[in-house]
Amino acid sequence: MWGWVFVLPALTYFAVFSFYPIFNAFWLSLHTKNPLSLRPPRFVGLRNYLDLLDSATFWNSWKATGLFTLGTAIPLVVLSLLLATIIVSRLNFQRFFQLAFYAPAVIPSVVAAAVWLLLLDPRGVANQWVNFVLGLSGVDHKWLANPEMVRFSTTVVYLWEKLGFFTIIFIAGLGGIPQSVKEAAHVDGAGGWQLYRYVTLPLLKPTTLLVSVMAMIFCMRTFATQYLFTQAGAPRESINVVTLSIYTTGIRDLQLGLANAMSIVLLLVMLVLSLLQFRLSGRGES
Amino acid sequence: MLNRFIRVLALMLVAAALVGGSAIAQTEIVYWTHEDPNRTALEEELIARFEADYPQYKVVRVTNPTDQMAQLILTAFAANRGPDIFNMDIPNEYPYIVNGRVAPVNPAAAGYIDEQSIYDAYLPGTLDPVTYEGELYGLPLEVTNWSIYLNMNVFRDAGLDPLTDYPKTWEQLMDVAEKLTLRDGEIITRRGFDFRYPYYLNFIPSMAAQLGGKLIGDDGKSAIVGDEAWLRVLQYFKDWGPNGKNLGSPTYKAARSIFNFDNNDIGMMESGQYQAARIHNDNPSFLPGEGWMVIPFPQWEDAVADVAEAYYGHYWMVNAQASKEKQQAAWTLLGYFASHADEFFERVAVLQPTQELLNSDMFKNAPYSDVFMSDLAKAPVIYYDENSPQVLQVLKDSIEAVMLQGKEPADVLKTMREGVERALRGEY
Repeated sequence: MWGWVFVLPALTYFAVFSFYPIFNAFWLSLHTKNPLSLRPPRFVGLRNYLDLLDSATFWNSWKATGLFTLGTAIPLVVLSLLLATIIVSRLNFQRFFQLAFYAPAVIPSVVAAAVWLLLLDPRGVANQWVNFVLGLSGVDHKWLANPEMVRFSTTVVYLWEKLGFFTIIFIAGLGGIPQSVKEAAHVDGAGGWQLYRYVTLPLLKPTTLLVSVMAMIFCMRTFATQYLFTQAGAPRESINVVTLSIYTTGIRDLQLGLANAMSIVLLLVMLVLSLLQFRLSGRGES
Repeated sequence: MLNRFIRVLALMLVAAALVGGSAIAQTEIVYWTHEDPNRTALEEELIARFEADYPQYKVVRVTNPTDQMAQLILTAFAANRGPDIFNMDIPNEYPYIVNGRVAPVNPAAAGYIDEQSIYDAYLPGTLDPVTYEGELYGLPLEVTNWSIYLNMNVFRDAGLDPLTDYPKTWEQLMDVAEKLTLRDGEIITRRGFDFRYPYYLNFIPSMAAQLGGKLIGDDGKSAIVGDEAWLRVLQYFKDWGPNGKNLGSPTYKAARSIFNFDNNDIGMMESGQYQAARIHNDNPSFLPGEGWMVIPFPQWEDAVADVAEAYYGHYWMVNAQASKEKQQAAWTLLGYFASHADEFFERVAVLQPTQELLNSDMFKNAPYSDVFMSDLAKAPVIYYDENSPQVLQVLKDSIEAVMLQGKEPADVLKTMREGVERALRGEY
């Protein structure tokens, strides 16, 4: 009884701010609705979903989302684990490094993207720095102008923004591994790498699973960087991720039904991929 | 004793209700507009004067970033919480008219005898974009056409005489821009000229129209009419971009945002007459006729039609869902604003094209009014329809495809036509 009382606020919150919008989005996805029109939505069944299957733009946005997620989520998990391991192994300045790496996570995505726009300007620091490192002069790397480079730029910005956040989660996970287990392995003669490979990593598996699922979901929901980059003149096609496509379909094209159908498809794909990750992780454990 | 106390209490309550009642009787109207520091100062003064003249009205003026206006207003209207008054550019405003979200002008409240007297007060044609099914739905905050602003110091620095060497044709523009452009390797440190990305509806259709092309066919269903004209335009942008002559790109800082500071980084750019007030504001020592001048929108050497850059309007509109009292108050305020067209021109340099202002010495003597008016006479109105944001997106994608992605104009022409025709059919 008391259990229900305690979870009631959370259930109410999710019901109002998560479940209701999802059901409403699904209901709208079966209708056509212009947000400016005062007429009620018109029921069209699955037509919006069928239109999406026929749309080259929709498939291109999935390609952009897939490439971005693959290119960002995997480095995000690997690098944040690496950083967390390095920071935990430091005897001094642990707090400083945690703070330094976490700082970008508290900057709003829009502000971060705006700062990066200045850096990636042809006359900005990015060109100067890369040219200095590579010993080049006057080369424009076209961070925002070339379709492949703009895809790379969004990945860099996202990595910079989210790396600290996932590093902190890994640090918490590493801190949760009992010292006694490590000591036992040490007594059994395990070296540094063996300890890490056969003790730390397996015990860190729940954290790794959590981080990989979160990283994948975060990457599939990316929006602000791509939106601001296209507003700043970057070519849209290569970074027209699903969320950006949902925005343009709903807000610019005034097709709310279609935009909601895209949102439902995105939700289902994220759900299936998350379940798959849990399933694969469970199989590995058994 | 108790009776007297009750009577006094009742009297006090009635008095409080009357005082409170008079406060409640004040009609509050909310006005959303885009940022413009010069206009904000003027409108806040006008609102203060208006509220003194009409104590029954209270105005709440809210400014929003220009590039956020369309989505903020759309979101507000979608939730039936739109402001009582708003303004945007006409391609974004037109769907509000078509969908019945804005109220027709109330001529009496706005200080006119009837609707016809409003049309008579303005330059013919400038109210056409807000006329729908015989009714008028807006008053112009500004009607603007862009010409080319030229930094005379940059010309002199490159050994050119701005008064004689300024470009008259698109071909000359590319040549002059090449002479003015400075680079550090591939990186441009001074652009000779750059376009006003991503406002492609303002200039791309006009460039094609000079060569006989049309954005929308006469049947209203076909699009990108006149292959040769459109191919020439696309090729021009391909040549202009970083993979061609490398004269500019949408990814460089907007030319108009750096022009005012005269930092030897931009030679020419597109803007409206309002830019003069912004230059004065940002850099008072950068003077017309000495530091900068304005030249007409270029033509192709073999142009078949004399067409200037399209003009657009920002129109004040009133929310149809606002109460009748608020609508009355809103049109009274907007009529009051419109009656100060001279102050808007003098202090903000935005043109509210009233006959009275256009015939005034103040307007005629303003720097380069003759150039802007000459271009305006040749300017079509910007393309506006329910689908204009989608059409703009197709143009943007097409220009970026040739400029940045290295695609061939012939291939892009096909996708551009398909995209615009799909937008005309209302398809995704």
